[in-house]
Amino acid sequence: MIKKIFAFLLLIALAGVFLVVLQNYETPEELNLTAAYYAEHGAEEVGAANLVSAIVVTYRGLDTLGEVTILFLTASILSFFLKQREERGKRSVRASSELLRTASAVLVPFIFLLGAYVFINGHLSPGGGFQGGAIIASGLVLLLLTDPLRKVSSRLLARVESASGFIYVGLGIAGIFLAGGFLDSRVLPAGTFGTLLSAGLLPILYILIGLKVGTELSGLLTRFQEVQVPDGGDSPDLKKGENV
Amino acid sequence: MQIAHIIGGIVSIVGSLFLLLGALGIVRMPDAYNRIQAGTKATTLGTLLFLAGIGIAEPGWLPKLAVLILFILFTNPVSSHVLARAAHHIGIALTSRTVADKLREHEEAARD
Repeated sequence: MIKKIFAFLLLIALAGVFLVVLQNYETPEELNLTAAYYAEHGAEEVGAANLVSAIVVTYRGLDTLGEVTILFLTASILSFFLKQREERGKRSVRASSELLRTASAVLVPFIFLLGAYVFINGHLSPGGGFQGGAIIASGLVLLLLTDPLRKVSSRLLARVESASGFIYVGLGIAGIFLAGGFLDSRVLPAGTFGTLLSAGLLPILYILIGLKVGTELSGLLTRFQEVQVPDGGDSPDLKKGENV
Repeated sequence: MQIAHIIGGIVSIVGSLFLLLGALGIVRMPDAYNRIQAGTKATTLGTLLFLAGIGIAEPGWLPKLAVLILFILFTNPVSSHVLARAAHHIGIALTSRTVADKLREHEEAARD
């Protein structure tokens, strides 16, 4: 009862806060200084049809590098803790249904294709490296759902991940010498606005980010796959494991 | 152009009605399996009609919408199938009014 009253009071308080925020809200008449600069000069300086990508990868490229690093750290820390609990025994799992197997065989290639499309076209259309990488990892989730014991080469994943991260930073440093600064995309010529080969280094950087994020998330998922379900855990029937 | 917009709008509204019915079904149905069924069938048709309505209104978007529709047709039934099968596997009870449990019959036949 007390809990409910408390929750109700909290709701009222929140409503009050949002009411104040709403009343003080004014629609901005014009872009602020930074945004106006991006909107005016972004297209000619970077040459990307997707202005958001231009900002994320070039103007704020350092922040993106930081985000990728955060993701990397998260994956490493998680895998460290998951490793600790790992007791490698043979997991017995129920065979997945024919429907799921068929569907994943049909869908997984298209999901990977879509992921690659999203990060290759990151400078032209909505999306980009992070989104494409997440789509690729979701394809891997489907694969693991279909066959939880599937062998995924974590060594390959780790190699692709570190190679793309390394090249990403390397190209960023190349920008210092060949163009205006770290992660400047004007190392390569700008190309024709709106085509696949445009915006200088931007598509290459986005492909690298996509590969890095995709392999990072996939590596994380395979770590979860390795964790043994404890005895008497949440799925009591898992031990029976006959093929149904 | 105007007529296409009106027809497309009507089709989309019918689709969203199906989505509403699906939501009602999730609240109203007696057990997990019936809820999954309501949530799947009604929302599949609802989403298809909704997208088809947009396609009628804006014919230029039809190819992309067709891909979306195909994706939903492929994934929605499969995901609900997997959910229901997993629920059955960990022994979530069926409603007392159930008359047939083919999956259990099948599993018992396979076990013997």
